[in-house]
Amino acid sequence: MEELAPPTRRQLLAGIATATTGSVAGCMERFWSGSDENTPEQVSLVIKTVPTDDDYIAASILSQLRENLADAGIQVTTEPVAEREFYREILIQRDYDIFVGRHPGLFEPDALRDLLHSAFRTEEGWQNPFNFSNMAIDELLEKQHTSEGETREETLEELFESLEQIGPHSVVAFPNHLGGARNEVRTSWTPNRAEGYIDLLSTEPADGSRTNPLRVGLFGEGLSDRFNPIAADVGSERPLLELLYDPLARRIDGEYVPWLADDISWDDSGVEIEATVRLREGLTWHDGESLDASDVEFTIRFFEDTSLGEIESGVPTSQYRGCQSVVDSVSTVGARTVEFSFETPSEAVASRPLTVPILPEHVWESRSEPVGEYQTEARTTDNEPPIGSGLFRFGEHEANELLEFELFDDHVLLDPAVSDRPSILNGFPQYDGIEFHIVGPYPGVLIDMMADDDIDIIGADLPPEHAGSIVEESDVSMVNSSTDSAYIVGYNFQHPQLGDPRFRSLVSRLIDRDHVVEEVFDGYAEKPETYAELAGVRSPDDSSRSADGTASVLRFPGSDGEINQDLVRTLFEDEGYRYDDDTLLE
Amino acid sequence: MVFASVVLEIGLAVLAMLVTATLVIVGPRQLVRAVRDFRWRLEGIALPTTVLLCVLFLRWATQDVAQTISTQVTGVAITDYLFGIDRALFGETPVVFLQSIQMDELTSYFVFVYIYGYAFLLAFPFVAYFALREMDDLSTLILAYTANYGIGLLCYFVFIAYGPRNVDPTLFDGLLYTAFPESGFLTHSINHNTNVFPSLHTSMAMTVFFLAVHTREKYPLWVPLSGVLAGSVALSTMYLGIHWFSDVIAGTFLALVSVYIGRNYTVEGLVRTARVFFSTKFKDAQTRFEGDRE
Repeated sequence: MEELAPPTRRQLLAGIATATTGSVAGCMERFWSGSDENTPEQVSLVIKTVPTDDDYIAASILSQLRENLADAGIQVTTEPVAEREFYREILIQRDYDIFVGRHPGLFEPDALRDLLHSAFRTEEGWQNPFNFSNMAIDELLEKQHTSEGETREETLEELFESLEQIGPHSVVAFPNHLGGARNEVRTSWTPNRAEGYIDLLSTEPADGSRTNPLRVGLFGEGLSDRFNPIAADVGSERPLLELLYDPLARRIDGEYVPWLADDISWDDSGVEIEATVRLREGLTWHDGESLDASDVEFTIRFFEDTSLGEIESGVPTSQYRGCQSVVDSVSTVGARTVEFSFETPSEAVASRPLTVPILPEHVWESRSEPVGEYQTEARTTDNEPPIGSGLFRFGEHEANELLEFELFDDHVLLDPAVSDRPSILNGFPQYDGIEFHIVGPYPGVLIDMMADDDIDIIGADLPPEHAGSIVEESDVSMVNSSTDSAYIVGYNFQHPQLGDPRFRSLVSRLIDRDHVVEEVFDGYAEKPETYAELAGVRSPDDSSRSADGTASVLRFPGSDGEINQDLVRTLFEDEGYRYDDDTLLE
Repeated sequence: MVFASVVLEIGLAVLAMLVTATLVIVGPRQLVRAVRDFRWRLEGIALPTTVLLCVLFLRWATQDVAQTISTQVTGVAITDYLFGIDRALFGETPVVFLQSIQMDELTSYFVFVYIYGYAFLLAFPFVAYFALREMDDLSTLILAYTANYGIGLLCYFVFIAYGPRNVDPTLFDGLLYTAFPESGFLTHSINHNTNVFPSLHTSMAMTVFFLAVHTREKYPLWVPLSGVLAGSVALSTMYLGIHWFSDVIAGTFLALVSVYIGRNYTVEGLVRTARVFFSTKFKDAQTRFEGDRE
């Protein structure tokens, strides 16, 4: 039999090429005819938030948004995700179309830069989790960052007003912090920041100072098993961690009060501002090692790249990244002295990095180890026990039950005679540390415990209906204070329709902010009134232009939280969208 | 501590119910006789009890790991489907309907049924079937419970789902924890809030009822009593905002499967089958091995 010669390589390639062209030609024909028809499908959105157990308010806002989107003809999928998992999916994986969540607060407008600038798009945490990229906004963000005085004010105002039209997020309301306290603790608020706890421990109880710890009740699922101050998935624990880790300065009543530093001198003679920071004498870490200027320099460098050069593109911290990014350079000039230069001429902006928690170099340096292609141990570790330099140190810990913060006896600020002692510490300490009692996600249990004198205060945010029931008990009061934080709706720009600013702006209108404040918050919240507030920046009444009546986001197309279907339909159609029966088409 | 006092209070109440029910339904004479020769009875149920304890131990030992793996890796989120199915079937979810007829008395009744009634419902068959002349029914009960729990846990591992109260506080009321906050301690220490599909409350309660029907000639009174209780438990899970209608249906289905397993298989039988299976395999291998040597 004649043997068939094996095909040469050229023959083989030619054969493959012919076959491919032939088959593609067939495909192409079908493809073209198909594309001519172009059958549009219903617009669909995946909305994520945490379950009621974790945040009653967020779940309620989502409820209103879900019903209104469905009434507007959009196919909505909602999936509650437990708090820690929510942070992972939103702030790390960016796996969502829309989220309803609580942002910890933008106390300095420059924080909008880390939230929105396209340069932060590839990072973890609250660094542009929207995949948002807009050149005009980038320019405004940079301009406010590198200017001061009137120029900066005007730039910011322009930025706020542009964001109302094209921004990737929208503020629903600024919540008040609702808690409860036994009357003998003598407080009209409960802490939602580290500084609040410090203040409370400086306040003498009605029955005299105590030899026991302050007993704080918290509720929540999975709280207190991670103590990493720079991880993206650490949310409600942050105030507690900021008690363990001291910063150079603490922000108290809007002022920066030197803390680990005893002197901060500013030099604004150049184009950009510089600062020389001198540390207090005798600072130590909770493990006995001494804290010096190199720890400060290390912290700032580490936040910029937690891999310390191991990973080429750098792996920045997931928290405090915006604060760190203001620093242009940092250098140790003595055991207790650090020099900073900043990217900005504004002292207000340059003060941001002073508030970041200082980390011990001897603990964190080895955590620069890469644990993935673009991940370091520093961002993933549970960090137990946390070694900081704060007034409190980590004590006993039973997961989901008890957390003890003992007074750190070697802290220099415990000495009332120390020079330039922050006035917030007058009277500190009135208690022997703090004891956090953690119950499952059941606020009602905390109220009973407080009435039975098992805890002194409720530190977690109580849902309004529970807070209201405190008045039925004796010897305890409901307390209420304003916060920096904001409930926001965030949009993912990778979604085909959400990339369209007109579509996004219509979706933002489908939340009745007045109704949310009245019904969901029971009045314990404030609606955004100015353009600055719509972007998330709390502003004194006269500093930003009122958005009332002018911002379309604040004009709800309906009443009592329910949309007027015909009106909303017209609004979408006016923007060029089409309906088929009752479904909105892509 | 709050937790201990809650458990004690529930324990005492359930004990009182058990004693009453035992006196009425089983009768003192039959009980005394059963207690007198408890030894062979215990031997009779040793095997299924061991299996049940093993499942409980496995659950206790792997709880945290399984939870983490489930939420971060293997779990499929199905809350939106459950919500959607409930709405598609009835226009509005049955939970909303049940909660719309909310009254304080009804709430008290359902809270009572959900916690005390359920505990009693699960415990009483142990006493009743223990007092019988043969241990077959008790073995069936234990095996059915085990199947119930085992399959339920498997579902919880595969499906991540939140109940109505956790999805939408505007539409649904978390009545149990408003009416009886301390119960949070109990449910929280037993279960996780993503474990709602299927409703184990329903499946366990229905299992008891189905077995009661099976043993109706021995304890005729127990049939209507367990029927009313099991039905109330199923309703209470929805009324209290804990489960979807779909969870309750799946729970009832699981009860049917578990009762089928309990009645048609015995642990002894399963062990025997396994032994035969492995020994034939072993023999096969041995023959092959010897064949190879020749």
